[in-house]
Amino acid sequence: MSLTIRARNLTRHYGRTRALDGIDLDVPSGRIVGLIGPNGAGKTTALKAILGLTSFQGELEVLGLDPSRERDQLMQDVCFIADVAVLPRWARVWQVIEMTERLHPRFSRERCMYYLKNTKIQHKQKVKTLSKGMVVQLHLALVMAIDAKLLILDEPTLGLDILFRKRFYSNLLNEYFDEQRTILITTHQVEEVEHILTDLMFIKDGQLILNSTMDDVHERYVEVMARPDQVDEARQLGPLHERVLFGRHIFLFDRTDLGSLNELGEIHRPSVADLFVALMGDEYDNGLAGEEAA
Amino acid sequence: MSMQTVKTLWALMRREYWENPGILKWAPAIIAALTLFGIAISLIIGARFDAELAFTLDAIREFANQPIEQRRLFMSGAMFATSAMFFQFLILLVLFYLSGSLYEDRKDRSILFWKSLPVSDQMTVGSKLLTACLLAPALYLAAAVVTQLVILLIATGYGLAAGVNPFTTFWLPSALPRLWLVLGTGLIVQAMWLLPIYAWVMFCSSWAPRVPILIAIAIPLGLSLMQHAWSLASAFRLPDINVGLIMLKRLGSGIVPTNVNMQVDTDSHRADFTDVQFSEELFMNLSTVFGHLLKLEMWIGVGIALVLLAGAVWFRRRATDN
Repeated sequence: MSLTIRARNLTRHYGRTRALDGIDLDVPSGRIVGLIGPNGAGKTTALKAILGLTSFQGELEVLGLDPSRERDQLMQDVCFIADVAVLPRWARVWQVIEMTERLHPRFSRERCMYYLKNTKIQHKQKVKTLSKGMVVQLHLALVMAIDAKLLILDEPTLGLDILFRKRFYSNLLNEYFDEQRTILITTHQVEEVEHILTDLMFIKDGQLILNSTMDDVHERYVEVMARPDQVDEARQLGPLHERVLFGRHIFLFDRTDLGSLNELGEIHRPSVADLFVALMGDEYDNGLAGEEAA
Repeated sequence: MSMQTVKTLWALMRREYWENPGILKWAPAIIAALTLFGIAISLIIGARFDAELAFTLDAIREFANQPIEQRRLFMSGAMFATSAMFFQFLILLVLFYLSGSLYEDRKDRSILFWKSLPVSDQMTVGSKLLTACLLAPALYLAAAVVTQLVILLIATGYGLAAGVNPFTTFWLPSALPRLWLVLGTGLIVQAMWLLPIYAWVMFCSSWAPRVPILIAIAIPLGLSLMQHAWSLASAFRLPDINVGLIMLKRLGSGIVPTNVNMQVDTDSHRADFTDVQFSEELFMNLSTVFGHLLKLEMWIGVGIALVLLAGAVWFRRRATDN
C-alpha cells in the first residue's frame, strides 16, 4: 500500500510556541483519518504543512511530493476546505463553479450540480448573499466534484444543520470515498464522524498522543461502569480516566485483561469523545462539554 | 507557453473581470457616456443659440472645403483627444486595481479557496499583470472606439443636413484604422514603460498588512523626503536624483500613448512647448511609439519590474489567511 502522507519529525514553531512538535505520521491511501484535538493543538498547522501553506522543519511527503517545493503539482491531486469555508464574496454561484471548472482539470460539473440539487442555492446568487451554511454547502459540492487523491476537510460541517451534516457524511462515505482516496478530517463534532473513520489521531500541544486505526482503538480501550462497591478495586487497576455519571463511576482502561474487568461492572466500548476527554486530560473536560452543547 | 497555460491565464483574467467590474467594465462605460453626454449637451445648447442651425451648417460646409491636410489634422486630432480621457483614467484606475490585486483575497480569506486550485503563484501574479497591461487597455480602447464611432455618426447626421459628403468630410480624415493601430500599440508600449510602477504597486499589494495603495505611495515619498532632508542638511542642496521624482516622472511621461509628453521629457532641461510643432506626427506616428523600445530607460524599468514581480510571487507563495 502506498503512503499518501509520510512525515518524520514534523516541527513548526511560532516564536516560542511549538505548534507542531516532532510529529511522525504514516497515512496509507484508502483511509479516512480523523485528526482530533482541542483548539490551538496544532491541527490547522499540521494541515497547512501538508497543503504547502506553511513552512516547517522535518521531513514531509504528500503523494510522494514535497508540499513546500512542489505545491503546484500537488494541488492537482489534493483539495481542501479551510476551517471556515471562504469563497470569494464578490462572485456569483455560477461564476465560482465556472472558475473551478476552468481551473481544475479534475472537476466535474455534473457531480457538482448533483450535490447542489438538494440545496436552496440559486446559481445567480452572489456568495455574499448566501448564509454561512449555504456557503459551506456550495464549497462542499465543489470539493466533492473534484476527483482528488487526498481530500482535506478542516471543520467541514461548521454551521450546517444536522440533516445536511448527516447527508454530507453519508455522501462522503458512499459516493466519494474509495480505495484510491484518502480523506483527512478535523472536527469538534467527533460523534458524527466516528462511524466513518478508519483511523484516529489525537493531537495535543503539537504532539500526536494517539495514532491508530479504529479497529485498534476498539480493541485497546474499554470502559467499565463500576458497581459502587468495586470503585476502589477499579482504581487499583490503573485506569486512564475516571468520571462520574448519575452517581456511578466510569473508568477507562487501556489494554487491560477483560476478565478482571468483567467482575467490576458493566463493560462497553468508549465513544471517541469519551476517549478524547480521557486522553486529553481533565483540563479540557469543560471545554469539550461546552462545545458539544453548542 | 503551452495551450493549457494560455487557457488558465484566460480563465484567471475572466476572474479579474468578474471581480473588478467597476474598474474594468463600468468606468470605461461611464467615461464614454459622459463624453457623449457632454457632446449632446453642447449640441443642444448650440442649437438654441443657432435657431435654424444656419451657422453650424455653414461652418460644416466651410470645413468640408478645407484642404485635406487641414481636415485630417482636425479630425484625427479630435478623435485622438476624445480617447485621451479614457487613457488617463485607465492609468489611475489600473494603479488602484493593482494595489488591491494581491491584497483583497488575503483580507477576506478567500485566498485559501484560490490556493486550493492547481494554479501556480506565478500564474496568479501573471494573470493580474496581464489584466493591467492588456485586458484593461483593450477594454478602455474599445470604449474609446465606440465613443469615436458615435461621435462620427452624429457628425454624419449634421453633415447630411449640411449637404456635404460625410465620408470624405469626417470619416476619411479621421484615419481611424491608423489611429487605432497607434493607440493599440501605444498602450502596450505604455504598459511596458509603466511596468516598474505597476510591479511596485503589486509588490506592495502582495505583503501590505492593510491599505496597500497608501503604502505604495508612502514608501517612495518617505524615501525622497529623507533624501531631501539629508541632502539639505549635509550639503545644503537638493539631491540630483530622487526615487519619488523618478517614479512621478515616469508616471507623468507615461500618460496617454501620445509620446508628446515623453518626447519633451527626454530633454527635460529644454522643456519648452513653444518649439513643439502641432502636427499629426506627434500622436499618429508608429515609429515614435516603437522608438521607446530603443531607450535604455525602458529596459532598465523592465528589469526593475521583473525583480519586483519575483518579490510579489515570493510573498504570494507564503501568503495565507493570517
